[in-house]
Amino acid sequence: MQPILDVENLVKEFPFKGDKKNGVPRAIDDISFQVFEGEALGLVGESGSGKSTTARCILHLLKPTSGKVSFQGSNVLEMNKNELKSFRKDAQIVFQDPYSSLDPRMKVGDIIGEGIEIHNPKISKQELRNEVIEMMELVGLRPDHFNRYPRAFSGGERQRIGIARALAVKPKLLICDEPVASLDVSIQAQILNLLQKMKEELGLTILFIAHDLATVRHLCTRIAVMESGKIREIGDRSQIYENPQHPYTQSLIAIVPEPDPISERARLVERKLSKLKEQP
Amino acid sequence: MIGNKIESKVAPTHAGGPLLEVKNLKVSFETVNGRVLAVNDLNFSVQTGQRIGIVGESGSGKSVAAQALMGILRGADISGEIIFRGTNLLELEEDHYRKLRGWDISYVFQDPLSALDPIRTIGDQVSQVLRLRNVKAAEAKNKTLEILDRVGIKDPQRRYNDYPHQFSGGMRQRAMIAMALIGEPSLVIADEPTTSLDVRVQAQVIDLFNKLTEEQGTAVIFITHDLSIMAGFAEDVYVMYAGNIVESAKTDEIYYRSIHPYTLGLLGSIPRIRGPVLKSLTAIKGKPPAPTDIPPGCPFHPRCTYASSECAELKPTLQIPKSGNHLSACHHSELLSQKNGSR
Ligand SMILES: Nc1ncnc2c1ncn2[C@@H]1O[C@H](COP(=O)(O)OP(=O)(O)OP(=O)(O)O)[C@@H](O)[C@H]1O
Ligand SMILES: Nc1ncnc2c1ncn2[C@@H]1O[C@H](COP(=O)(O)OP(=O)(O)OP(=O)(O)O)[C@@H](O)[C@H]1O
Ligand SMILES: [Mg+2]
Ligand SMILES: [Mg+2]
Repeated sequence: MQPILDVENLVKEFPFKGDKKNGVPRAIDDISFQVFEGEALGLVGESGSGKSTTARCILHLLKPTSGKVSFQGSNVLEMNKNELKSFRKDAQIVFQDPYSSLDPRMKVGDIIGEGIEIHNPKISKQELRNEVIEMMELVGLRPDHFNRYPRAFSGGERQRIGIARALAVKPKLLICDEPVASLDVSIQAQILNLLQKMKEELGLTILFIAHDLATVRHLCTRIAVMESGKIREIGDRSQIYENPQHPYTQSLIAIVPEPDPISERARLVERKLSKLKEQP
Repeated sequence: MIGNKIESKVAPTHAGGPLLEVKNLKVSFETVNGRVLAVNDLNFSVQTGQRIGIVGESGSGKSVAAQALMGILRGADISGEIIFRGTNLLELEEDHYRKLRGWDISYVFQDPLSALDPIRTIGDQVSQVLRLRNVKAAEAKNKTLEILDRVGIKDPQRRYNDYPHQFSGGMRQRAMIAMALIGEPSLVIADEPTTSLDVRVQAQVIDLFNKLTEEQGTAVIFITHDLSIMAGFAEDVYVMYAGNIVESAKTDEIYYRSIHPYTLGLLGSIPRIRGPVLKSLTAIKGKPPAPTDIPPGCPFHPRCTYASSECAELKPTLQIPKSGNHLSACHHSELLSQKNGSR
């Protein structure tokens, strides 16, 4: 099977002033992975592990230091203007922060419609409006929110606006950078169910970035675990959660809290004991 | 123990009485869209060293309630009683209140960015509480380094003179926690103290609060929307929805034998790391109501799978149903307690 996205030996360094004795630290340190059509691949790791940087390099929003990113067989880093334009339509991103990722001066309807218009300039006003409203309904926003500004929305609603904006141009690949981290539990579940539905009904391919292993388990059938700019382990859901190979994956899974007081209290005690042991 | 805690006490704890008792607390705001009732009839008490959890979704009134307790809400109408060590804080003069704040009661703000001053160093801000109480500069600095270390800031000596923008989000949140703990308060109100943190750091924060309650008898009110993080920590849980407490009980009762559809919905919404992978999560439909637009009857009824006609008309009171053993505000709690009790 041909991958829709192929990342090969990707490296990103952020040069900095100061002590370079040990070389420039790498935000992404030689990672390779593939995403196949119609699958949801999870990319998990703790804060600062390089997840967002990976997403931005894939979309060529950031220039990687070295490595190769191919989308449907063509090298993203060597695309001409037209190719890049169609790539930018086919690969969409929903950002981590629903507060800063929407233009505060634009109305919600226009935010969602902007991409449709760019890629289909001949669309009539009425058609555009219909498409936008269809998207809004799809993600569970009320059509009467069309003329409101982002500030009038809660975090969950803003994230839906972001998803509607991304899906509006009918992308082939959707990169979600922690799309539910800042949302209420009940809304998180709605968005996860929504993404699941999009995947099943539209055949959407998803690269789902999160630090929360439980969320990823729900949506993704394959998972890559990232730490310090490296992919430590990549495998099927059953491998990662039932038989994790890398010690880092194991430690990450062990620490995810569950809504289960008895087992959580037991873990609290365990942590206390292991801390006591560490101390001389 | 730093300084003289007695000085800050407005009154001694009356023997056996709770540290804090909140009675019929109501908080409302006058807005252009009309009156907003952000907190409606809150009742609870906190004993010395007790660990209380308040859960609820965005806008349910958690922060407003917490800020009302701290006496830092502006432009709000507050009624009811907030009795701390036997004194009603709502009748306290601002001068006295200020002495209490950050010292005997402290607050960990939800949003560390807006609560930290961008042009003052972390060390300066964390030590402020001590310096305001005339603790000598050297001692204040030592205590600050110690507390920064305890909340997991590596190399506090070097970080002391950093500005907030030099800290990551998680580090800022830990600095906020340090600021709240440095005065060794008897009550800490922590407003979503773990929300923007990694699981590993979340666990550290929980462990830190846990240690505090066990070793120093500090009482903690832990506010969160995350039922997983709360599970191992809280002894008693209050579930809030649209300004109301809708269910309250011992932690295990809430998690294993909830009798409120909203709580049950929240629990069903959480993706699990163990057990079978569900085809879809049992999300609660719709979203919490706008505060200007709270539905009549039970505020949860438009989203509730159990809703019947009386739910749209009559607001259920918080009470213990016949077959149940804890408080729930739902017309169907009796049914649910028969069902869940037989498990
Ligand atoms: N523009 C930048 N300049 C310098 N360093 C950067 C820049 N962007 C990211 N970094 C660094 O690269 C590393 C990876 O950051 P990245 O944002 O990719 O992490 P992440 O895994 O998305 O974390 P989070 O879960 O907190 O979003 C971090 O150490 C970060 O400080
Ligand atoms: N100054 C104010 N004027 C008018 N309404 C307000 C004011 N402050 C808060 N509110 C409203 O009171 C309600 C409760 O807000 P609060 O901040 O307590 O929610 P919360 O439960 O802490 O939510 P979150 O989880 O998002 O922090 C909200 O609907 C909010 O819009
Ligand atoms: Mg990120
Ligand atoms: Mg809040």
